Amino acid sequence: MALVNPSFIDEVKRSDEFNASACMNCGVCSAICPMGIELLPRKLFRYVLLGIGEKVLNNIEAIYSCLLCKMCEVNCPAKVHIAENVRSLRYVINKKVFKI
Amino acid sequence: MTNRRIGVYICHCGGNISDYVDVDRVRGAIKDEAGVVVAKTAMFTCSDATQQEMVQDINEQKLDGLVVASCSPKLHLFTFREVAKRARLNPYQYTQVNIREQCSWTHTDDKEGATKKAVRLIRAGIARTNLTEPLDPIKIDTVPKVLVVGAGIAGLRAAIGLADLGMSVFLIEKSRDVGGWVKSFGKMYPHNKTGKKIIEQLVNEIKKRENITLFTNTELVEKSGSIGNFNIKIRVDDQNHNEINVNVGSIITATGFDSYRPETGEFGYGLNGVVTLPEFKELLDNSDGNLIYNGKEIKNIVYIYCVGSRQDSGVENAKRYCSRYCCNAAVHSSIVAFEKKPKIHQFHLFRDIRTYGKFELLYNRSREKGSVYLKYDENEPPTVETDLSGKLRVTVRDILTFGEEITVQADLVVLVTGMVPAKNDKLIDALKLPLGRDGFFNEIHPKLRPVETVVDGVFICGACQGPKNSSESVASALAAVTQSASILKKGYVELEPLIASVNPELCSWCDECVNSCPYSAIERGQYQGQEVAVVNKAVCKGCGGCAPLCPKDAINLKGYTDSQIRSMIDAFLKETF
Ligand code: SF4
Ligand code: SF4
Ligand code: SF4
Ligand code: SF4
Ligand code: SF4
Repeated sequence: MALVNPSFIDEVKRSDEFNASACMNCGVCSAICPMGIELLPRKLFRYVLLGIGEKVLNNIEAIYSCLLCKMCEVNCPAKVHIAENVRSLRYVINKKVFKI
Repeated sequence: MTNRRIGVYICHCGGNISDYVDVDRVRGAIKDEAGVVVAKTAMFTCSDATQQEMVQDINEQKLDGLVVASCSPKLHLFTFREVAKRARLNPYQYTQVNIREQCSWTHTDDKEGATKKAVRLIRAGIARTNLTEPLDPIKIDTVPKVLVVGAGIAGLRAAIGLADLGMSVFLIEKSRDVGGWVKSFGKMYPHNKTGKKIIEQLVNEIKKRENITLFTNTELVEKSGSIGNFNIKIRVDDQNHNEINVNVGSIITATGFDSYRPETGEFGYGLNGVVTLPEFKELLDNSDGNLIYNGKEIKNIVYIYCVGSRQDSGVENAKRYCSRYCCNAAVHSSIVAFEKKPKIHQFHLFRDIRTYGKFELLYNRSREKGSVYLKYDENEPPTVETDLSGKLRVTVRDILTFGEEITVQADLVVLVTGMVPAKNDKLIDALKLPLGRDGFFNEIHPKLRPVETVVDGVFICGACQGPKNSSESVASALAAVTQSASILKKGYVELEPLIASVNPELCSWCDECVNSCPYSAIERGQYQGQEVAVVNKAVCKGCGGCAPLCPKDAINLKGYTDSQIRSMIDAFLKETF
């Protein structure tokens, strides 16, 4: 069971860059990703939107293995700024976890 | 045997019929039937050329009966009635036999069988036609006045529309105020006007029109008469309980809906902080700036959709329909909530989002502003409970998060409740309007006759016929206006003469037929000092329900008399070839 933590949502969204609300869960991004990162970006964004911080922080390695190649982004039918989102999420993790 | 002169026309319908029915053999089989003097086949009987040929045959051969064996009368009944009229043949002396839907389309695997069936059907049609008599439509004078029941947005708009077409309108409303649900709505989509403002506007228009008489605190108690001339008794609930009789040509019912009230315990209803959608809208409209519930600031809202709609058929009195407007209303409310308080968190637990048409833009906007949508399976609905600290906890298995079980702590849970039929037993009884499976009033056909009912002259509009949003309600109100005006403006209506008639010589007023008639068309009358049954011509639908029940065989259905039916059965039973 996962508990929704609204303050985590606010933390990520504070950057204003993070925009995944248009995501309609189609899965094109995951299918196309050369890194084959199952989590990215569809599942990850869902966890972020719901503020399930623990699921996000358990998957730091996956989040950092994204190449920011934008293959997913150009193919996303909902025009989600996927790479930008990953970047802003890393920014939050850098501060929160790695304290940099 | 018969001295009738009947023309029979058998249609190929392109190949629609002739690919499976051997029309030439059929023609051969029926051409010598009693009464038949012309028997022809045609590529398309409905074409101008064949119609012209029929007119010519009727005149030259002095035909007094016409049989067209073609498609369904639903398609061309009126086409061939017109042909008969053009040739000065009484249109009720024509019979259409359906050998397309009933033969060629249904028996593509058996050409021989289809051909034989066509022969039998046409013979029956000829037999019936042999016994037809000329009939005239029933003409009824109409009163240019309309009664509108219910002064919500639909009723108000209908009254204005009718008044502008020159009708006198009696507008009656059961409650003290007009405006129905809409008067209490805040800003509405897409025009952003408040419901209150819209109703005020309509009421102003009503006041400007002298030919509208508005009664509040008033109910309809009795209806008699029929299309064009109804006698209505209304009761005004003032000190004297005044009863007033009015005389109108048609009735428009616009009695609206009720909001579903959840059972205690249904999705936590009854717990502190669990409210219905109308309650939430009220809270939104009454708060400027901060959103407060019971003295506490609201930071997290959870919506649960489809409460009281789309219920499992296993549930007692299940409301199985989608209420259609609640997705839109909830999504819109969430946007209003963001406007009041941008930092709020809103979680929507839905089964399917049904924000059709323009409302899809609202759905997008709601997500852009930060609403998160979680999809639950109807077999695993969310649960709502209070934890030890008194906080509401909503748990749901979210299909979009890959079946993860997710718990949200909420300050407020909004149950997105649907529309249920308004309680109107007295009115239903007085108007004799049938209800549909879901308990709303039933139109004759949702697409083709969307505001007409089985009771001629009684129309329905707005949410009393099923869930509708306000603009859909207004659209249907205007449809009812047009329908009413089109019958009343002419000053008369013409009704089908194919109805029941009682032979007063035979009737013994046992009242069997009275109880069998679903339209209450049979009344008590007098004949040579005796009590007998009398059919109200304007009310009878010609359904035939009464005729077989009469123990005295006193009832006949015009156009389908006992002797006609018997002759048809005999014709069916002949050898085909
Ligand atoms: S392709 Fe775009 S819309 Fe589809 S799941 Fe990925 S982010 Fe969401
Ligand atoms: S940007 Fe990241 S998630 Fe998207 S396709 Fe490239 S590696 Fe995969
Ligand atoms: S409109 Fe939406 S909430 Fe209402 S019954 Fe239909 S699907 Fe459920
Ligand atoms: S059932 Fe026949 S006999 Fe009895 S009242 Fe009706 S018409 Fe007369
Ligand atoms: S034909 Fe039908 S509608 Fe007419 S009187 Fe008989 S039962 Fe009533």
